[in-house]
Amino acid sequence: MPGPRLILLAALLVVLSGAVPAHAQYRIGMSAAITGPASSTYAPTYEAYKAYFKRVNDAGGINGQKVEIAYEDDRGEPQRAAANAKKLAEGSILMVNASTSATYKPFMTESETEKIPLLFGGGVCPREAFPPASPLIFCSTSFGSKWDSRFALGFIKEQAGGKKVKVGFAAQDIPLSRIELEFAEQLAKEMGLEPIPVVVVPGNTPDFTPFAQKLKDAGADWVLSWALWHVEVGVFEALSRIGWQGNYLLYGHQQTQDELGRLKAGNLYAFGGNTLFLENLPIHSEINNVKGQTTHPAHYLAEGWVSAMVLEASLRKCGWPCPKDKLATAMAGVSVDTKGLRGGPIEWTADNHYRKNTYYKVYRWDPAKNAIAPVGGWTRLEIK
Amino acid sequence: MTQVLATTVVVASLYALLAAGYVLVYRSTRVLNLAQGDMMTLGGYFLFLLASAVPGQPALSIVTAAVLAAIAGFVIYRLLMRPMAGHPVFAAVLVTVTLGILLRAAIVLVYTDRIRHPLPLLGLSNPPRRLPGGAVVSTFDLATVAVAAALFVALFVFLRLSPLGIQMRATGEKALLAAQRGINFQLLFALSWALAGFCGALAGILYANNVRLDPSLGILGLKAFAVALVGGLDSLGGVIPGALIVAAVEVLSVRYGDPLLADVSPFLCLLAMLLVRPWGLFGTKEELERV
Amino acid sequence: MPLGGGYFKTTYAGDLALVDTRLRRTALGALIVVLLVLPRLTSPFALDLITQTALAAIGALALNLLTGLAGQVSLGHAGFIAAGAFTTAVLVEHRLPSPLLALPAAALVGAVLGVVVGIPALRLKGLYLALGTLALHHVVLYACGEFQNHWGANTGVSIPSPRLNGWVLRGTTAWYYTLTAIAALVLVLSVNLQRSRAGRAWMAIRDREIAAESVGIDVARYKVLAFVWSSAITSVAGALFAYQRAFVSVEAFGFFLAIEYIAMVIIGGLGSALGAVLGAAFVTLLPYGIDAGVAALRVPGGAEYYLFPLKFGAFGLLMAAFLVFEPQGLVGIWRRVRNWVFLWPLRYRPLRSAS
Repeated sequence: MPGPRLILLAALLVVLSGAVPAHAQYRIGMSAAITGPASSTYAPTYEAYKAYFKRVNDAGGINGQKVEIAYEDDRGEPQRAAANAKKLAEGSILMVNASTSATYKPFMTESETEKIPLLFGGGVCPREAFPPASPLIFCSTSFGSKWDSRFALGFIKEQAGGKKVKVGFAAQDIPLSRIELEFAEQLAKEMGLEPIPVVVVPGNTPDFTPFAQKLKDAGADWVLSWALWHVEVGVFEALSRIGWQGNYLLYGHQQTQDELGRLKAGNLYAFGGNTLFLENLPIHSEINNVKGQTTHPAHYLAEGWVSAMVLEASLRKCGWPCPKDKLATAMAGVSVDTKGLRGGPIEWTADNHYRKNTYYKVYRWDPAKNAIAPVGGWTRLEIK
Repeated sequence: MTQVLATTVVVASLYALLAAGYVLVYRSTRVLNLAQGDMMTLGGYFLFLLASAVPGQPALSIVTAAVLAAIAGFVIYRLLMRPMAGHPVFAAVLVTVTLGILLRAAIVLVYTDRIRHPLPLLGLSNPPRRLPGGAVVSTFDLATVAVAAALFVALFVFLRLSPLGIQMRATGEKALLAAQRGINFQLLFALSWALAGFCGALAGILYANNVRLDPSLGILGLKAFAVALVGGLDSLGGVIPGALIVAAVEVLSVRYGDPLLADVSPFLCLLAMLLVRPWGLFGTKEELERV
Repeated sequence: MPLGGGYFKTTYAGDLALVDTRLRRTALGALIVVLLVLPRLTSPFALDLITQTALAAIGALALNLLTGLAGQVSLGHAGFIAAGAFTTAVLVEHRLPSPLLALPAAALVGAVLGVVVGIPALRLKGLYLALGTLALHHVVLYACGEFQNHWGANTGVSIPSPRLNGWVLRGTTAWYYTLTAIAALVLVLSVNLQRSRAGRAWMAIRDREIAAESVGIDVARYKVLAFVWSSAITSVAGALFAYQRAFVSVEAFGFFLAIEYIAMVIIGGLGSALGAVLGAAFVTLLPYGIDAGVAALRVPGGAEYYLFPLKFGAFGLLMAAFLVFEPQGLVGIWRRVRNWVFLWPLRYRPLRSAS
């Protein structure tokens, strides 16, 4: 009896085909490492976006239109990111990536193919955002390749006060970390410091001691680490365990405030672009107000909040209607006041999608005050 | 040089704790419990659970966490492994893999992927200690070595001298004969799984306090099974030399070779052993033909 | 297996045919028509799912050949897929991105790897074989990781869309047709291998190796042959994977991928080509099913955090359930259902004589 079976088949096919969605809002697609090993760094960005744009939509939206963001979890894996990119590209005027650098390539490929602007909101800024910038790639993240090293080595040199110091480098075995610290090694030599060859640490190593031992044996006075937090801090803790007395400088991710308080180590310096919440600026209270909506504490949300601010400013500038090419042009001239979350405003130009100036601040645990304290003020580097 | 030695012994102790679990389970139920790493993680999270619930009580938390993990091992045997009794060995091993998946999923469901640190919650600290000869290790590194040594001594005493231990060895060797002698071998199988859970939990607790606690620690279990195989899957005594060899290869390859090789070196040891002497250093030769 | 009574083949060709009864021919025809017309009827998302299933089925069929047919347990499947994918990556890095070169190269690399794995595997049985292949998987991944770092300066290698004489394979529909066609080819290959001399030898080795040896089957040769066939097909699947994802990165090929393929073969039913395909469909679609289920339940905010462990856990749970309760897998269920449908209102097959 083929009849009923054909009807069943037809019904199944009808069910399988989806309805075409309506396009009456700003449609954004975001892929973040919401779960997975890297989630503690990137999931707060996702939560910040959700909370921020809920606030925006509740207040009436932008230019009278609501902002609709489709969120996808990629767990920091490139395969999932590739699938997400294809899914999110449909109908979106912008894609946001808040995930590990392994997920960048598929997104950049999709962005180029579909001509959709791509905003990196939580992960390290790729080369394409720096001058000369690709027209579709933008980055709001506080940390970026090469400039971080330039600042870090400058800070080390300043702290060394003219003495020739040996600098060790602890990288994670992900390409961006390795390349960055190899660049830093080269730069250190040029700046008159004495570099030690980069020590590369596998991300899931159970014991950081052998790597720490290498750094200690080489006689490092300072160690610079630029990687995911657990590797940065793992090497530091191993160095402390084996009794190393030098100073450790790492990039401060979301966990900085909590971890500096946990470790209470006077020789651990964390540098970053985001102001820590202990400075209690008005914007920090504002972020604290959305506490109930997020699983992460409010002081993890700074990075994502700034990115959301940049996105809002871009959408406002674009106006309505806002097709993707108009958005890309609007973003290329946007200027955003970060209200103290960063050291200064984020300004993009047609050529520079990172920012005109980037600001860094260093924090450490001060044993004298028994609290986390900044070391100096903001340092500005001009991006050329 | 002494530092390399010290690090090797510390890493070997951790592997030995995990490998003991593999051997205990294999000797009795002839199953390779690929979820041992996740049982270690489970033990660590039990500790975190207790440390968060009743902070500042290290002895209580540690002991309770280990006991909970032992109970978990018992329950796992009863619910998951006993129904697999008649099935081929490969299927049983796959079930342990799925068990690992389930354990990990449950942990992530409750605690997410965030890295946790039970140490401050317990009110303990982990200062470095200087050893004679110049090597420096942390307090919990020393604790790991001490616990591993104590555990092996206890296991040897238990298995050789106590009636229950002798019964366990008997059932491991020939379950049918043991049953005919009136030994409740199902209970002993469950007990061996409970012991494996206990050993794993000890490893997990020590590691969580020493380094960190996150759901992906199970990967250490995979490295440790290489240790178990090198030593001999059914030889508890073989675990110690196996652990020392694998740990030495790993530490030396980091020190003098390519650090990324450290991840692969246990498996290279495993492969070498499988090709040359599949039953391990001290395992029984018949084991190969049995499977 | 004919369900009608009697044995009515009158020609050798008829006897050898894969699709023998009129019902089967009709069903196959209808299936082909549906597959051809499908892109017009479903959303791109569903089409992408079917494409993914087809790709997974290729790998599952290859694993079924090795583990289900020849009885050689292998936990290193992900290593072979990685080998195929990275062969493509190597060729792309050397500016030779053509699929006409990459697919045969991947097959060759897979075959060589199969020999490399297969010969030492002769010494190992059962559990030890599984562990040996697992160890080898890690070694292969290490090699791929080193390649990625060395040619790296990337977080992976981007693979351009495959080109054949100016025609570019791009877009969901094109990939759907390509992969479904290749999967069908591999299915036919797999079924034919099963019926061939090699297939019979493998099944003999799987069932009772000593008896097979005593009957005169060259066990060593056929075991290595099983590895070679399986890894060659798997590497080709890996190369297709690389092209379809347009990106190759070593993180995608971890141990969990091997477990997924084992699950496909086991949940589908060990030893059956249909089982491999069913298992591939099941394992590929399960996460999306859970997504849809959770979305339908309208769980309040924060659901994303639970989705991954839920999917992960459900996968583990289902695999364990199939291992414990339904060792014959989906194919066992399918056979029971089919028999029930065809035999109704009778309950049991009629007793028949020795034919």
